Amino acid sequence: MPEKTYLQAISDGLRQEMRRDPRVFVMGEDVGVYGGAFKVTLGFQEEFGPWRVLDAPLSETAIVGGCTGAAIMGMRPVAEMQFADFISCAWDQLVTIAAKQHWRAGTAIPMVVRLPSGGGFSGGPFHSQNPESSFAHIPGLKVVCPATPEDAKGLLVSSIEDPNPVLFFEHKHLYRRIKGDVPDERYLTPFGEARLHREGDDVSVVTWGAMVYTAEEAAQQLESDGVSVEILDLRTIIPWDRESVLESVRKTSKVLVLHEDTRTGGFGGEIAATIAEEAFEDLDAPVKRLAAPDTPVPFSPPLEKAFIPQVGDVVTALRELAEY
Amino acid sequence: MAIAREAEPITSLREIREAGLDREDLLDVYRNMLITRAIEERGHTLYKQGKIPGSFYTGRGNEGSSVGVATAMGSEDVGTPLHRDMGVHVVRGVEPWRIFAQYMGRADGPTHGRDGNVHMADQNLGLIAMVSHLPAMLPVAVGAALAFRIRDERRVAVAWFGEGASARGDTHEGMNLAGVRRLPVVFICDNNQWAYSTPTHLEYACETLADRAQAYGFEGVVVDGTDVLAVYREAKRAIEKARAGDGPTLIECMTLRMEGHAVHDDAFYVPKELFEEWAARDPIERYRDWLRENAELTDDEEDEISTGVKKLLNDALRRAEESPMPEASDLEHGVYATPEELDTPHHK
Amino acid sequence: MPQMGVSVSEGTITKWLKQEGEHVEADEPLLEISTDKVDTEVPSPGTGTVTQILVQEGETVEVGTRLAVIGGAPAEAGASEPEAPPEAATAPAAQAAAEPSSAEVTPPPAPAPAPTPTPAPLPASYAEPEGNGKSFVSPIVARIASEHGVDVAGVPGTGRGGRVTKKDILAFVESGAAAQQATPAPPPAPAPSAPAPVAPAPAPAAAPPAPAPAVAAPAPAPAAPPPAPAPAAAPPAPARAAAPPAAAPAPAPQPATAEAGEQFEPMSAMRRGIAEHMRRSLDTSAHVTSAIEVDMSKVVEIRKQLKPEYQQAYSVNLTYLAFVARAVVETLRDYPWINGEIRGEQIVTRNYVNLGFAVELADGKGLIVPVLKHAEGLNLLGVARGVVDIAQRARDKKLLPDEVQGGTFTITNPGGYGTFHGTPVISQPQAAILGTYAVVKRPWVVEDEFGQDVIAIRPIMNLTLTYDHRLVDGALAGRFLRDLRHKLETWDESNY
Repeated sequence: MPEKTYLQAISDGLRQEMRRDPRVFVMGEDVGVYGGAFKVTLGFQEEFGPWRVLDAPLSETAIVGGCTGAAIMGMRPVAEMQFADFISCAWDQLVTIAAKQHWRAGTAIPMVVRLPSGGGFSGGPFHSQNPESSFAHIPGLKVVCPATPEDAKGLLVSSIEDPNPVLFFEHKHLYRRIKGDVPDERYLTPFGEARLHREGDDVSVVTWGAMVYTAEEAAQQLESDGVSVEILDLRTIIPWDRESVLESVRKTSKVLVLHEDTRTGGFGGEIAATIAEEAFEDLDAPVKRLAAPDTPVPFSPPLEKAFIPQVGDVVTALRELAEY
Repeated sequence: MAIAREAEPITSLREIREAGLDREDLLDVYRNMLITRAIEERGHTLYKQGKIPGSFYTGRGNEGSSVGVATAMGSEDVGTPLHRDMGVHVVRGVEPWRIFAQYMGRADGPTHGRDGNVHMADQNLGLIAMVSHLPAMLPVAVGAALAFRIRDERRVAVAWFGEGASARGDTHEGMNLAGVRRLPVVFICDNNQWAYSTPTHLEYACETLADRAQAYGFEGVVVDGTDVLAVYREAKRAIEKARAGDGPTLIECMTLRMEGHAVHDDAFYVPKELFEEWAARDPIERYRDWLRENAELTDDEEDEISTGVKKLLNDALRRAEESPMPEASDLEHGVYATPEELDTPHHK
Repeated sequence: MPQMGVSVSEGTITKWLKQEGEHVEADEPLLEISTDKVDTEVPSPGTGTVTQILVQEGETVEVGTRLAVIGGAPAEAGASEPEAPPEAATAPAAQAAAEPSSAEVTPPPAPAPAPTPTPAPLPASYAEPEGNGKSFVSPIVARIASEHGVDVAGVPGTGRGGRVTKKDILAFVESGAAAQQATPAPPPAPAPSAPAPVAPAPAPAAAPPAPAPAVAAPAPAPAAPPPAPAPAAAPPAPARAAAPPAAAPAPAPQPATAEAGEQFEPMSAMRRGIAEHMRRSLDTSAHVTSAIEVDMSKVVEIRKQLKPEYQQAYSVNLTYLAFVARAVVETLRDYPWINGEIRGEQIVTRNYVNLGFAVELADGKGLIVPVLKHAEGLNLLGVARGVVDIAQRARDKKLLPDEVQGGTFTITNPGGYGTFHGTPVISQPQAAILGTYAVVKRPWVVEDEFGQDVIAIRPIMNLTLTYDHRLVDGALAGRFLRDLRHKLETWDESNY
């Protein structure tokens, strides 16, 4: 199996789908000639032409709204937000129309919105956010957060196939940093099935996106202390794999819920609450959350380091749980 | 000095025949306008009888505009009509009993009680259900047009909005994208002069909203919205132009909202004289006069049409009232679509 | 300062019985202290000379504070943890007894937790009485314990503060130790006057480690949890140090000056405790009192026969109270709820009776409720002897902390003064309290041998049962009193 970066995997998956299905098209800012701010669609316009790789005006509302209308007309649009942060401009299109249209009017909207998200490179308050929790709260949307190249491709294919609006969060920090084996053939990674990233007995970490790697580093450090850490990569937030989480809780009885998004109202709270409701009698320690503090994402490196959960923070949290 | 063109009235049967309507069509237009008004009048009664929950909105005074535009649409065209555009649903063939069921929150309404009022649409009739954030529908209509353009289909999307909605960014983004890509979309502005209680001079500063079309690179037309045939002809021109690949048009239909924003609003802020002035230009009465003058509409024909409309609505109301209320147990169904639902003509 | 009960955070030196320079034998009374829960003598932990008194009479200090030095410098004490701050020096109690020359007068009969988790000194974590950490039972541990019938208190804990973790209990179960635990452990037998229980026995399995305080004495420290005695409710160890200054209502009177004709008298710790407990009990339980009249003819007759024998053979004064207590224990067998308690959402019943007796102190200024543990195993002689013993030691302030804890039912006996009715306050968290009143000769309607009603003179005793209507209904209380009366009226010597 060829090794690819997270970014190549997304790009390959998208290209494969566009070759396979003429209904799939891409619209976003600078996605055409330039190939997208992160070059995910580099070379696409040459292959698919300007009407399937559409450079949009600087109009997130029109991009998402337009993709919604096209989806209703039977297309399989893949919108790109240049940065996930800009999805705020398209809130109405997503939340008011796309999310509710099927429930209200029976109209399916098979649309994907790609959202380069996350921080770690001094992007500041408007180029670093992880707004997945905001959308997890909206019935009718699906929320996908792949961590590995293989999942990035498989989940993108599944997102395009899905008959609903899907928010596809691509962590920018993983784009070129993470490499992995990615099958060449087409495959679908199912929604709502967590991936067991690391098997362990003493403490479970439930996380997703770039935090999977932070958790992995922490787990390696704790291994020398004899603490065996299990890491569950949720892969999709909506739907999320409650059963696998509960199963892991039943096994280890200690859980850390970890995410890069801010703490209050973060999706970790939903997971923690579900564990408390459904696995209370399996707990041997309070469910612990580790997330970014409730501030905007800062710019300066020391501040950003204090914002994004670091390996050391995870080690401390896991150790506290292990020793509890 | 307005930039946009002002539409001419239609002065003869020959003229309208050239625009595509024969006498039978003209009587259908008249019937549809009567049905439109009658549905909303019955709705008013139902509301006052406590049979309609929530609030209630009508488009009295806009029947000429909505029926005129919808009459100009082709069967494969699509649209995003708003709450003053009941005539579009009627012309496209939504059965009145379904509309009453929708009003009353019954299980057989197009949204099965999940949404109310005119927040409905029959997708099989080429309509997309509106949301309360009115201008948000414009980019969606533009997206539909984009789909037609990508697939090289000769279909057109029609997008409605009001002069109030014109103030929002969605309107701009939608029109701009449509202009940039010369998409097959026609924008219909129902300018009824009042956005709830806000008059036009507090909504926009240009002389007409149709003037803005120039800025987006397409044509703007101002038309008397109480003249159903003038509206029809302009809409027809714009739709066929879009179909031919010559890009969007913005048609501004001038009317007056003849009632409050909703049934709870007595519109005290609208000058009485204004109401009187526009009452004299009631689109239905104007059109009846026109038919008598230009198409030899007889009293018998008129009676037959209005009796038919009455019966249609009586039957519709009875049927709607027989429709059950939705089951609470159904509430959580259908938040997400299933893959099989994409096996529809629209999604193929 | 010894820990006189889990929730006690401080104590007051009332009197030094030995002064600096005097010799003291191990276990010889060294000082008297007063705490929220109990007033008691503190026996010397070792033999030697009192070289230094560190806390003077009248001073109130935190639990764990060093009070005096016997036979050597303080630094020499507690050799096993030289760095330990004074308040941490609980564990060396037993060592101190064994090393008389360097004993510290700190921690004698403390069944309660060391304030900080100190894993080192005791060889087996088994005996480590880590209070809060040990006592918190996580949901999964509780579940495993219940599935395997394990008493968590007997499982070695390796978690924070000695808490029993899931791994601990699983290892315990796998080791087969669980099977040996058999039935739920009975409450610890009262240590026979030994002042320093080495391995402080945890509370009975069925009861939370925070022992139920006895009626009057009990007032938990101000920082103590509300009545629902969930194990987790015990205040965290570190909080203990911080709590008293803030929470302890200072004995100092609130009004600055007395009015003319008034005199101030500081409220003793015990008085404060009684006040708090009485108030809390009334705020907690739905008090209802039912009364019944008992013809004590049979008891009077038997007592007359037995009394001299008991006196001569056992030096035990056989009182009516002993009869009533014995009959109560028997009757409670059939009324587990009256011997029970409400704990959170659960009703607790048990297979034993720890009988409390309200005893007035010798000075008439306080009340204490010593507990006769496992009264169900005592015959009339045993009950009589036990009642006399604990009452005497209560009056003399020689009770051990454990002896005022863990009561399941209480008897109060104001009848000695001729009263014939009362509505006592329930000792929390119990469900009921029995009042016994004077045996009075009264005209009594009885049936003669011809079935005719005649008036006879009979010794009548009134009994009241004050019960918590949250748990005990009137009919249940009525049946209990009826059965109790029946037992007393038909007393069969051979059965008791």
